[in-house]
Amino acid sequence: MAKSTDLIQGTLDMLILKTLALEPMHGWGISQRIQQVSGDVLVINQGSLYPALYRLEQQGLIKSEWGSSDNNRQAKFYELTRTGKKQLTEETENWERLSAAVDRILQTV
Amino acid sequence: MLRKLTSYVRALLHKDKVERDMDRELRFHLEMEIEENVRRGMSLPEARREALVRFGGVEKFKEECRDVRGAPLAESLLQDVRYGARILYRNPGFTLVAVLTLGLGIGANTAIFSVIYGVLMRPLPYKDGNQLVIVQQQAPLAHVLNVPFSVKEVQDYREQNQTLDAVVEHHSMSFTLLGGQEPQRVQTGVVSANFFDVLGVKPLLGRTFVDADDEHGSDAVIVLSYQYWRQSHGGDPSIVGRTFQMNNRPHTVIGVLPPIPQYPNEQDVYMPTSHCPTRSSEQFMSNRNARMMSVFGRLKPGVPLAQAQADLSTLASNLQKQYPDSYPANRGYAASVVPLQDELTRRAKPTFLILLGTAGLVLLIACANVANLTLARLMRREREMAIRAALGAGRGRLIRQLLTESVLLSFAGGVLGLVLAAGGLQLLVSFAARFTTRASEIRIDGFVLLFTLLVSVATGLIFGLMPAFSSDRNLTGTLKEGGGRSSAGLRRQRVRNLLIVAQVGVSFILLIWAGLMLRSLIKLQHVNPGFDPERVLAMRISPNWSKFNTNEETLALLLRILDKARSEPGVLSAALGSTFPLNQLGITNGPFNRGFQIEGRPIPDGELLPQADFRTASTDYFETVRQPLVRGRTFNEGDKDKAVPVAVINQSTVRHRWGDEDPIGRRLSFDRGQTWLTVVGVVGDVRQYGLDREPPDEIYIPLAQAQFGGNLLVRTAADPMSIAKLMREAVYEVDSDTAVDRVQTLEQVRSDAVASPRLTAILLAMFAGLALVITAAGIAGVMALSVNQRTHELGVRLALGATPGKVLRMVMREGMSFVLVGLSVGLVGALLLGRLMSALLFAVEPTDPITFLAVALVLIAVAAAACFVPARRVTSIDPMLALRSE
Repeated sequence: MAKSTDLIQGTLDMLILKTLALEPMHGWGISQRIQQVSGDVLVINQGSLYPALYRLEQQGLIKSEWGSSDNNRQAKFYELTRTGKKQLTEETENWERLSAAVDRILQTV
Repeated sequence: MLRKLTSYVRALLHKDKVERDMDRELRFHLEMEIEENVRRGMSLPEARREALVRFGGVEKFKEECRDVRGAPLAESLLQDVRYGARILYRNPGFTLVAVLTLGLGIGANTAIFSVIYGVLMRPLPYKDGNQLVIVQQQAPLAHVLNVPFSVKEVQDYREQNQTLDAVVEHHSMSFTLLGGQEPQRVQTGVVSANFFDVLGVKPLLGRTFVDADDEHGSDAVIVLSYQYWRQSHGGDPSIVGRTFQMNNRPHTVIGVLPPIPQYPNEQDVYMPTSHCPTRSSEQFMSNRNARMMSVFGRLKPGVPLAQAQADLSTLASNLQKQYPDSYPANRGYAASVVPLQDELTRRAKPTFLILLGTAGLVLLIACANVANLTLARLMRREREMAIRAALGAGRGRLIRQLLTESVLLSFAGGVLGLVLAAGGLQLLVSFAARFTTRASEIRIDGFVLLFTLLVSVATGLIFGLMPAFSSDRNLTGTLKEGGGRSSAGLRRQRVRNLLIVAQVGVSFILLIWAGLMLRSLIKLQHVNPGFDPERVLAMRISPNWSKFNTNEETLALLLRILDKARSEPGVLSAALGSTFPLNQLGITNGPFNRGFQIEGRPIPDGELLPQADFRTASTDYFETVRQPLVRGRTFNEGDKDKAVPVAVINQSTVRHRWGDEDPIGRRLSFDRGQTWLTVVGVVGDVRQYGLDREPPDEIYIPLAQAQFGGNLLVRTAADPMSIAKLMREAVYEVDSDTAVDRVQTLEQVRSDAVASPRLTAILLAMFAGLALVITAAGIAGVMALSVNQRTHELGVRLALGATPGKVLRMVMREGMSFVLVGLSVGLVGALLLGRLMSALLFAVEPTDPITFLAVALVLIAVAAAACFVPARRVTSIDPMLALRSE
């Protein structure tokens, strides 16, 4: 089975971080939010979401806590750490630089 | 990094909690997904199905999550171990055989290593043991390498050296201890006061000597050795302070030593130099040439041995210049320094190292066998391996699985080996005791356990890697039916044949070694000792010297004892002598050698006197031990104190000094011509110092004229030990202060003389036998498997018209061809390595053709049998069934 997702791994990490920058959320919420905001273009596969969450947690960019959801169920909420915020700014800058470069190339040809 | 580590550790410790957390989280997600689906309009079952489909394989992604979280290595290793254990448990036959084989191999190595570590490698149990040295005087031009020291010489070395911190002296005496239940002869070490301080030995009870004990006129004190205290005084804890009579003086026990190896030999009792009657006499102390002692020292810290050697050599040459009479130029004079540790282990090294080599080879053979077995089993597990690989296990993981199994096996073998070694430890200690006094230090302790562990793991890796690396890379080929005919199958067969060749070769070498040792032993046992030891009892008589004022009185006592012995029933003849043939004391304490002059052959100045062993013998001595009379007569009653001094010499002396001339009637002198003895008889040679040593030159003097001679020899009609008690009581009847000890028959003495080579031969034979059995089992196993695999092919041959006999012969021929290759390899190896054995052999060449031939025949016969038994199945193959099977 393939390990790769529809999105490049680094990009998924960035999207997760951005989503969490707004407010702490659980895994389900994150995937829904990304889907909504991208207008159903980006559909996150659960098989990549949770490993990415765990990885980000291990790297210290987000932290987790058990809490209750809107419908009073037990869910694990993630939130951004200070290191995570810094990382998000860096990643966003990188992404903008990268996409600007790709745009330039696509326009010249 | 730290975070990763903590997450790893947490994952390890709270594995369950982490798992449950993950479950909860994912379940929440699933429920939300289902709710969403329902909200979108699906029915509950549909919603659930949809959600599960979108979710994908839960386990697989749990696995991924787990991987990200960490702790994969320890967990999967544990998994491997559990799985491996299960596999081994399900194949009890294989597991048992493998563990047994490995256990024997590892056990042998552990046992030998514990001996080698205890004796050769462990630092001496003395303080800073590697700083302790032995100082020796040598007369190199006269080929004497160990000249004892005199009191003045010890003084000189102590005062004039620059490189030794302390110099202590030691000599051995035998005194009679009175005050116990019986008069006891005790082996006494007479030492300087700071002897135990230099060794750094703290007493178990009481104290050791101080300088005040060594002064003239001080109270006599003694220190007991541990073994003597346990054996003769029952380990009495109140022994300190008790007094015994020795040399007509009360001696108080002031301490007991801990159990440590003693050098140069085991002593019962220690006393300071001021109380040894000989050593403390004025005459002895002032004579530079009265030499008796050995000398030890401790190097100054930081001083290398070479520097000490140079220092002492200078000292020696200064002494030689100062006292030329004591150090005649024609004998040469030198001093040498050797580490104590080397001396203690010198005799043991060659034998022990050979045994270690042997044990190592046996282990290799055992490994080869288990590797073979593993290879055979691997073939059946090929499909399992292929499926695992298809499921995503990397090659590394597969190999790790196999290695885990083999290390588990070898671990179990190691445990078994430890048990076996521990069981045989006592035997080994008594074996080693014959070579060194350090034998008591042999035990299974931390180091030995570590060694066993390392050997076990290494063994597991060795015989595990071989089959592991021969696994097939072609998955699809293996997954199909008939995996045995894949290319890996062929490669495996080749590896197995190679292993057989190696096993046969190594077994050959071991068998040769054992065979050579056995032949050597047989030759040794057939050496004519020069006397007849049958039915002769020997015992050492030690009168209380201090009771008698003159030598005449001592002699009178000895003669009374002799008369009493002769009058006892069952005694055919009795005699006294200063020693008897193959006397262990004679062997360890060195020859009683003196220089003599032959009348009519003056010795020019500067030349060495002829040397011979000096002995005393009573009347009937030669008849009692049946040493043959060759010419002239033996001693009779007429050879008394005031009569003409006479001597009897042995044939060796005649050969060396007189050649073909008749020595009867010639005269010799031991004191530079002051008294002359007339030779009245010639007796045959005896092997005094060992069956493998040349008989020495001997000159015998009548007991009555020499006035000493402490061994009573009695030839009996019946079993000698049966009258031992009787003889002892007879002696006590004559004088109750006379100690009687070292009671043994000459048969025992003679048997003891070959004890070391006998034990070595037994050990080597056991190892070689083990190797042969393991190899035979290996050959049989490979043969059986080969026949099994080739059933189809052989069936074809039979169907095509070959007779069963022909097929059998063909199979046998193929099997034996490997054996013969192995034999040739072993032959070359044995010829090259044989030289290592020559130190242990007697009258046998390391390339002895008879041994080689015999061993080759035995090996071929055993191998042929091992081939034949499984090959016989060939004759019962039904060709129709074989053709149909695959």
